[in-house]
Amino acid sequence: MYLLKAEVSQVRRFILRRLFSGTIVVLFSVLFNFVIIRLAPGDPTRLLAGKDNPSQEMMQALRAKYGLDKPILEQFWIYAKQLLHGDFGYSYVSTAKVWDLIKTRIGPTLMIAFTGAVIGLLIGTLLGIFAARKKGSKFDLFLCGISYFFDSTPSFWLGLMMILLFASILKWFPTYGMYSLRGNYTGIGKILDLLKHMFLPVTTLVLIDIPYYFRIARSSVLQTMSEDFIMTLRATGMSEKKIFNKYVMRNAIIPTVTVFGITLAYMITGVSMIEIVYAWPGMGRLMLDSITKRDYPTLSAIYLMLSISVAVMTVVVDIIYAWIDPRIRVE
Amino acid sequence: MEKKKKNTFKLILNTINNNIQLKIGLIFLAVLLFIAFFGPLFAPYNPYRLNDDLLMAPCKQYPLGTDSLGHDILSQILYGASTSLKIGFIAAMISAIIGVTLGGIAGFYGGWIDQLLNEVMNIFLMLPDFFLILMIIATFGSSMMNVMIVIGLTSWVGNARLMRAQAKAIKERTFIQSSFSMGESKSSILIHHVLPNGIFPIIANTTMNISGAILTEAGLSFLGLGDPNVVSWGQIITAGKAYLPKCWWICTFPGLMTIFTVLTFFLIGEGLNRVLSPKMDANK
Amino acid sequence: MSLLDIRNVSINYHTNDKTVYAVQDVSLTVEEEESVGIVGESGSGKSTLAMGILRLLPENIIETSGEALLNGEDIFSMDQERLQEVRWTQMSVVFQKAMNALSPVHRIGKQMEDIYRVHYPNETKEKITERIYSLLKLVNLSERVYMSYPHELSGGMMQRVAIALALIFEPKLLIMDEATTALDVVTQTQILNEIMNLEKNMKIARIMITHDMSVVASTCKKVVVMYAGRVMEEGRVMDVLVNPRHPYTKGLLNSFPSFTGEKTNLKGIEGNLPDMSIYPTGCVFADRCPFAKERCHKEIPQLKDYGDNWKVACFLKEEGGDINE
Repeated sequence: MYLLKAEVSQVRRFILRRLFSGTIVVLFSVLFNFVIIRLAPGDPTRLLAGKDNPSQEMMQALRAKYGLDKPILEQFWIYAKQLLHGDFGYSYVSTAKVWDLIKTRIGPTLMIAFTGAVIGLLIGTLLGIFAARKKGSKFDLFLCGISYFFDSTPSFWLGLMMILLFASILKWFPTYGMYSLRGNYTGIGKILDLLKHMFLPVTTLVLIDIPYYFRIARSSVLQTMSEDFIMTLRATGMSEKKIFNKYVMRNAIIPTVTVFGITLAYMITGVSMIEIVYAWPGMGRLMLDSITKRDYPTLSAIYLMLSISVAVMTVVVDIIYAWIDPRIRVE
Repeated sequence: MEKKKKNTFKLILNTINNNIQLKIGLIFLAVLLFIAFFGPLFAPYNPYRLNDDLLMAPCKQYPLGTDSLGHDILSQILYGASTSLKIGFIAAMISAIIGVTLGGIAGFYGGWIDQLLNEVMNIFLMLPDFFLILMIIATFGSSMMNVMIVIGLTSWVGNARLMRAQAKAIKERTFIQSSFSMGESKSSILIHHVLPNGIFPIIANTTMNISGAILTEAGLSFLGLGDPNVVSWGQIITAGKAYLPKCWWICTFPGLMTIFTVLTFFLIGEGLNRVLSPKMDANK
Repeated sequence: MSLLDIRNVSINYHTNDKTVYAVQDVSLTVEEEESVGIVGESGSGKSTLAMGILRLLPENIIETSGEALLNGEDIFSMDQERLQEVRWTQMSVVFQKAMNALSPVHRIGKQMEDIYRVHYPNETKEKITERIYSLLKLVNLSERVYMSYPHELSGGMMQRVAIALALIFEPKLLIMDEATTALDVVTQTQILNEIMNLEKNMKIARIMITHDMSVVASTCKKVVVMYAGRVMEEGRVMDVLVNPRHPYTKGLLNSFPSFTGEKTNLKGIEGNLPDMSIYPTGCVFADRCPFAKERCHKEIPQLKDYGDNWKVACFLKEEGGDINE
């Protein structure tokens, strides 16, 4: 697909607007992080230290680092400057740099999150299109019923039930961690071991994602099929196959693309519950540890990263959107 | 008059009968409300009571078993129903009130107010809401009140967008235009005409929000951020997690109840949406 | 042989628990280059009739009887392949909502190209583009439209696009289903005038489906008045609209304030459309007819020719009465 010259400038203006919104979101998140620590009940120093009775030296060091004695605006300036240098502070729990902690966790999280999202997208969308074409059939009703059920299921509970099923009854797949502790595999063996460990978390995620894509694909295909222009195309003698493959699909795919983009943006939150269930060493696990130990610097760094990635992804999705849907550019 | 009332009633009954989601949803809702109001009367034990039998599998004495502290699971589930419903309803109501107010103002007044509010909505849409809720609860404490308020404060954008679109459309209708020319004040028109006429999609969306709020609460409980002073299904599941797979009953039953509850409101919301847009209906 | 010869067509919808008799026993002919208006309130079956002739109704829930002969060939009994050949080359249609007449995410020119290729798959791109440009010119649109998307045009412009599209293969029959209803009066008049010029040059016959009597009066030669799925009166516009013989036609004319454009309820006619899921035992209009007698509720009046192809389905007329007395 190509754009005309006038359209390029429309798209550019649209993207600039979205970038502006994205920037505000990131700024808001930074501000939120800054404010919440200071609004929270109790002394922010204690919160930042992560325990109720930190040592005097530690309190002193924290006050100096964050300028907690200085006026609020200056504090914010110090905070923002640290962030710009990639300094998210130190985790109280492990005394490691927060950023180093997060770095090791991103890989495993993205690994299952992305795999799950893509498989869920493919299966869900295909089923949705299929169900829409056979609307009202037993197959359609069955899929709709199932999708309601999985839509109502908390992901962590589904994970627990999978453990129940696979650990006690079927014993096919490992239910814990990323690698076998006693395995000491190398090469192909290690990859197979990883894939085995990935199976349950990814399957859980896929089961949670499928109904989502299923319903979007189904309803947007049905919606498009009921549009007036389909009637026009039919009246021209165009074959149903061509109408569906070229016109229905192109119109119906737009919501799916949007939703997929948004899901990618939120995938860390979505997957964290599942990670916790399967003790997968990712961001979710880190998040849970930080919550139980009230490790605020780590929590707030995760939050910040999350908001930035969501903002970036939303802008990316919008750009794709502007490209595939000419209507959006105008407003 | 009497006849007209009867007809309306018949019409509603007909609508429900022809709408399988709504029908099933409302039946489920009746069951749920019954459990929430009268469940405690049927509970065999005080849900907080620590019985001597720990981790008992379902048996005559404990129909759904006990957990590691000796709590009777059935009694906990019966008491937990009102927790889930309360959180769901109140959080969804808060989000509806904020959404309707802001969306109504934005759509009805238009101009710079609309632009500003619209931008705010866009920004809220881009915030990772579950994590936002989690941060606030982790910082301010996990009382049920906090959970409800925070969920409400972060989930209003959907309602606001719907209401904004409604207000924009209704504003152009003839009867509103004539109210303008008859000198009725803007705020009075907004409250007396625009809101009541645009509220229906909000009701459908709010029903869905109840589902969302219940799931969010379950998630928070699972992360250890549930209110320790109330019984909630999410917390029972969390407590049972460590005893899986051997003591399967602790996690399984409250999970099924959560699904049942969430499903109920999903179905009602879907059913209402179907009433709203009959175009997507079967057979047409 | 007439261009279109509709014989005793009935169309029923089957829904879950009932059958709706949307069109009942309608016969009418359209000669070459003739312009026929079909008027009636919404629910009169006029659109169903048109969609039925085009075979665009969902075939799993409708039941059609009778014949619709297009150049002597029955549309209802064509197989899918033949139907697709006939569509657009022999008859085309312009719908009411022109804004939605084409896919919103494909460029207009591209869609017209695709439609051209439905019937001439091997035509060169240059030839097709040339044809489309000439069509756009014909309906007074600039070449720019070729690269535009539907949302970038106004309602009037899109209506012109829809008309250009309908004329792409110069079909002998054009059906316009409330095609100008959504437009403002000025644009409507312009477009109607253009259409009349085009069909004169291209020798096209037109069926105009509308509830707007003034549109029929200014653009059609023949008029068919429908009510509750049945033809009430039929004849030359200058006869029927000037001197109606059926009480319903008269009521319809009275109810239409021709200049203010404001829609009011049918002034001359009390009551509502009958329940179309109950098969009528008498005249469908009897319940609302000021002249209704006992017979009207018991027998169904047949359409009878009273000379000059002026046909009326009314016992009052049959028995020699006159609604104007």
